[in-house]
Amino acid sequence: MLGALILVFGLANLVVAPVVGEAMFARLWGIEPLTYMGAALVILGLAITSLAYMVSDIVRSRRRASDEDRRFAERWTQVTQQYFDLFNHDLGRPLRRILGKEREIREQLQASGSDIHPSVRELLDEIEEQTPSFRLMMSNIQVLIELETPNTGEHLHAVEPAEVVRRIVDRYSLVAGDANKQIVWWSEPTEFGIVYCDSSAVEHIVTNLVDNTVRYAESFAEIGLTRDDQAFHIRVWDDGPGIASRYLPYLFDRGWTPEVARHEERTSSGLGLFIAHTLAKRHGGDLTVESITVPDSDHHTSFTLTLPLQSAPSRTAGEPVA
Amino acid sequence: MPESKILIIDDEWESAIVKAVQRRLQDEGWNTIIVQPQSQWMVGEEFETATIYAIEDERPDGVLLDVRLGEHRDDQFKGLEILRQIVERYPTLPVLMFTQYAQGPARDTAVRGALRWNAPVDFIDKLASPEEVVLRLRRLMGSSPDIIPIGAHLLVDVGAETVSARQDRDSLLAPVTDIHGMKFEIFRELASAWYRSPGELVPFSRLERYSEGEEARASLRVRIREIKVSLGKALGIQLGANDLIVNVRDRGYRLTPPQM
Repeated sequence: MLGALILVFGLANLVVAPVVGEAMFARLWGIEPLTYMGAALVILGLAITSLAYMVSDIVRSRRRASDEDRRFAERWTQVTQQYFDLFNHDLGRPLRRILGKEREIREQLQASGSDIHPSVRELLDEIEEQTPSFRLMMSNIQVLIELETPNTGEHLHAVEPAEVVRRIVDRYSLVAGDANKQIVWWSEPTEFGIVYCDSSAVEHIVTNLVDNTVRYAESFAEIGLTRDDQAFHIRVWDDGPGIASRYLPYLFDRGWTPEVARHEERTSSGLGLFIAHTLAKRHGGDLTVESITVPDSDHHTSFTLTLPLQSAPSRTAGEPVA
Repeated sequence: MPESKILIIDDEWESAIVKAVQRRLQDEGWNTIIVQPQSQWMVGEEFETATIYAIEDERPDGVLLDVRLGEHRDDQFKGLEILRQIVERYPTLPVLMFTQYAQGPARDTAVRGALRWNAPVDFIDKLASPEEVVLRLRRLMGSSPDIIPIGAHLLVDVGAETVSARQDRDSLLAPVTDIHGMKFEIFRELASAWYRSPGELVPFSRLERYSEGEEARASLRVRIREIKVSLGKALGIQLGANDLIVNVRDRGYRLTPPQM
């Protein structure tokens, strides 16, 4: 704009110079000064206009490229998601067959009333125990894909946290029972009500915590649900041997497991706590850990998820998701 | 009490995993109906038509519906299309989606659709245990039954306000006459919580309503002990601190079926 103004002013100078130049300047140079000034202004105006055009062109092309990048990322995520769904379904097929057969054999053995050989029972239990791990692994990969997606904002729904906890306890009760571990849950207040949050994120975080706690508990795991004016809290507690304080700073690092620290064979991917922590932070909350190790008689580990209480989104259906 | 009907729609209805779930639903006392398309070449559209006809004919109390119905690419999310139709036509019919696609954008879209109609819809992973499927369906159908069987040896009749017990599977259940009034109410609370969610703790505050006097907690403890003594006698076993009704970390009680 400025460049164009200078250019117009310069051209005007050039046009009027022959007419008014003699009257304005007593001693004329070779060509009157107004012509020089006009020419200089035209050059300056052209320079500024060209520069402005070049700059705006660069900005426009960068913006276009960034839009294309975003669209590409979204398309890529969509395609990845579709392939993941297929992969999840097809990879699950042999596992479903194995699991189905295992359940059939277990029922037949129970119905026959005969004693099951310990090694057979061990094999059947192992298949059943590995199933929640597989389910969690698939769902962790799913969340990793989502975490790579450009953030499209929060998906707030009306959620019953008590129902979320209830279904996770349903899922792990069988495995915990087979390992002679007890898993219980409670909420305070008893009628906990609904909160507005991303239900998938909450379910995913707590599932990872419970999976972890069932693995490391000695005999007892407890999930407690509480709320105050600003936030609601889900505490997952177990009576396991505890985590040494020197390891606590690495607990939420991607790929870290206690076996890594002890140079042992890994029994988990080390993704669960990383994902849980990342999701908690992404949703404006926090995930903290507190642990007391053996030989203290009160040895335990406790993870607390805190998420803010948010108001209902403007367009929401009334019924809870969970 | 009329038997609840559950409709099962799954292209792998003959697979061991679906059969195991079906048997567990039948153990629960539910009548299961499997939807099978007429053609040998199962395609999603046939399932769609067959499902809607089956709902019209059978008037089920709940539906267990797979998401992927057939191997064709178009049938990958056919179950979600069927769900949309069910939700629009029968918005109060509970539907449990039994699928390997228990997460992700397709599920979120379906949930948003169900929310618009306030429909009782939930998703469960196909690898879930049959026990999990039963628990989820119980809650989805909102069934708070009049009869709550606790294992094979105990039964709570909510309507008649009685608890019955037997010492072995072959004998008949006999009412435990000592458990009545507030003791029955305490046991009913524990049994209902266990039926809904076996891991759920019933806090002292909820049970103390059924106690008298200033020392509500002490009174509750006494009543719990009395219930355990009565039921132990009826079952012919000695119930210890960790049997049947367990005090969990001084926060509340939970019920665990007797190991016999």
